[in-house]
Amino acid sequence: MTLVMENVSKVYSDGPKEFKALDDVSLELQKGEFVAIIGPSGSGKSTMLSIAGALLSPTSGTVFLDGENTAHLSKRKITEKRLEKIGFVFQAANLIPYLKVRDQLRVINVIAKNKANSKGRELLEHFGLTHRTNNYPNELSGGERQRVAIARALINDPKIILADEPTASLDSQRGREVVELLADEIKSRGKSGLMVTHDERVLDLCDRVVTIRDGRLEE
Amino acid sequence: MFLAIRELIHAKFRYVLIGFIMVLVASLIFIISGLAKGLSADNASAIQNLETDYIVVDAEAESDITKSFIDREKLDEIEQISGVEKANTLSIRMMNASVNGTEQNEDVALFVTEADGMLIPSITEGNSITQDNEVIADSMLKREGLKLGDTLKFGDESEYTIAGFADKQRYSHTSVLYMEASGRDRINAVTIQANPGKIDEIKNGIGNDFDILTAEEALQGIPSYSSEQASLNMMIVFLFVIAAFVLAAFFYVITLQKRDQFGVLKALGAKTIYLVKSLLGQVVLISVICIAIAVGLTMGIKALLPADMPFLLEVSGLIQTSLLVLTVSVIGALISLVQVVNIDPVEAIEGAGK
Ligand SMILES: Nc1ncnc2c1ncn2[C@@H]1O[C@H](COP(=O)(O)OP(=O)(O)OP(=O)(O)O)[C@@H](O)[C@H]1O
Ligand SMILES: [Mg+2]
Repeated sequence: MTLVMENVSKVYSDGPKEFKALDDVSLELQKGEFVAIIGPSGSGKSTMLSIAGALLSPTSGTVFLDGENTAHLSKRKITEKRLEKIGFVFQAANLIPYLKVRDQLRVINVIAKNKANSKGRELLEHFGLTHRTNNYPNELSGGERQRVAIARALINDPKIILADEPTASLDSQRGREVVELLADEIKSRGKSGLMVTHDERVLDLCDRVVTIRDGRLEE
Repeated sequence: MFLAIRELIHAKFRYVLIGFIMVLVASLIFIISGLAKGLSADNASAIQNLETDYIVVDAEAESDITKSFIDREKLDEIEQISGVEKANTLSIRMMNASVNGTEQNEDVALFVTEADGMLIPSITEGNSITQDNEVIADSMLKREGLKLGDTLKFGDESEYTIAGFADKQRYSHTSVLYMEASGRDRINAVTIQANPGKIDEIKNGIGNDFDILTAEEALQGIPSYSSEQASLNMMIVFLFVIAAFVLAAFFYVITLQKRDQFGVLKALGAKTIYLVKSLLGQVVLISVICIAIAVGLTMGIKALLPADMPFLLEVSGLIQTSLLVLTVSVIGALISLVQVVNIDPVEAIEGAGK
């Protein structure tokens, strides 16, 4: 088990008002498993992914990252865990505008103080981006950008890949290609993947689909 | 510095713009400081270089030597006080001298003191005073064509001969002449060399009718000195404030634009301290480059200034001012740093936690 969420609830308090965005959610991810989260807007998908990625702490319940309870970790340690264990793919790729494709991956090595890591080239080649290594993000197509983002998520060899609507900015053809790539990497490299999506046409690429409604999980 | 450098290169234009402003402001700071130092020396280098620890003036003079009047007997009295090692009289008189009996006139400040006393400056040309009708003149007078052996006449008084020249002897923007004090009963001040540890004893010995000034206090007592310096210093302070605010606003807006990126980098595992260092690195790098250019520019401008313009650039002063500009830049970047610290990595995920 690489990611375990046990009875996780999240209450947003907005002044005196309280809003329960997640209600007693439990989920386990196996090695090599690719799970999709679907649900209507505002149902709590992003909240759930943020908690899984230790970007947000749950109001109650526990999250284990690669067997470690995140509740006892300092903010600093949590940042380190994210770097080490989790690869993120965001909705709009969120590449750094002033970095060339090559440097988008290298920055992770710099942050991780792991400059010897030479997987970048291999990854870019594997993703068919070799001819793009010296381009800036604004010179790439949406699909290329998202592929760079996936390569960035993989460079540090994390155990868990979290993706929040990675296909939202792509047409269905490109979207499907990106999810195929994700599924492929997760399978072949033995990672665990959790993906929030609105696109029902890519669900066949996932091992399991969970639906979330008003903060409650339905399988 | 991985991120810092790449961003600077990618967004050259905006950083060149802010750099341009910084260069201008820093140059202006250097130039005005040079002017302040130059004017200060031109106004009072004779007092700044006076070989004395303390200057005794009468209490009603309000630190202005020329307004002070002391009886000559006081000198003997002061010499007896324990702690006083040496004492000499000093009288300052603003005069107009006619040169060699010709039409040529020069404004001068007469420093009247004992010819064998401590106040006589070291001579750079000619000899010291050996006779009562000799004077030592400020070297600046050479620019007006004066030479050794020239005679000077003040009003109805007898003639004096220039026996020697000494450097950096200006008072109230006028060149100083040193001459022998014998035969004068009313003096302006008594200068003393004394052990600073015994200053309280000396004060008691001299009595309440007199003030004991340091050279710095005597400078401030020159009426034009403090007002000149105050207005220039105010300009410099304003320039520092402007530099701080311009930089603060610039980096604040830039950081605001980069919020999303900082959120993403934090989500990806970048520590806040890394991002803070990156931003500080940019500020320091830009400032150092701009200061270096400004120093060069100021040197160039100095070379273009006419030689008699009071402008003084010293390496120590340049370094001090440069460090101050750097410090002010970093202070200006502080509010942006607060922003960077406060950005929550959850902002990288669309919709959640906002
Ligand atoms: N910081 C917050 N304070 C208060 N309420 C919040 C906060 N963040 C999210 N919410 C609320 O929590 C609920 C779940 O939000 P979340 O972003 O997880 O939904 P989502 O399923 O990702 O929606 P979408 O499909 O539109 O992205 C929403 O009703 C949202 O308004
Ligand atoms: Mg969402």
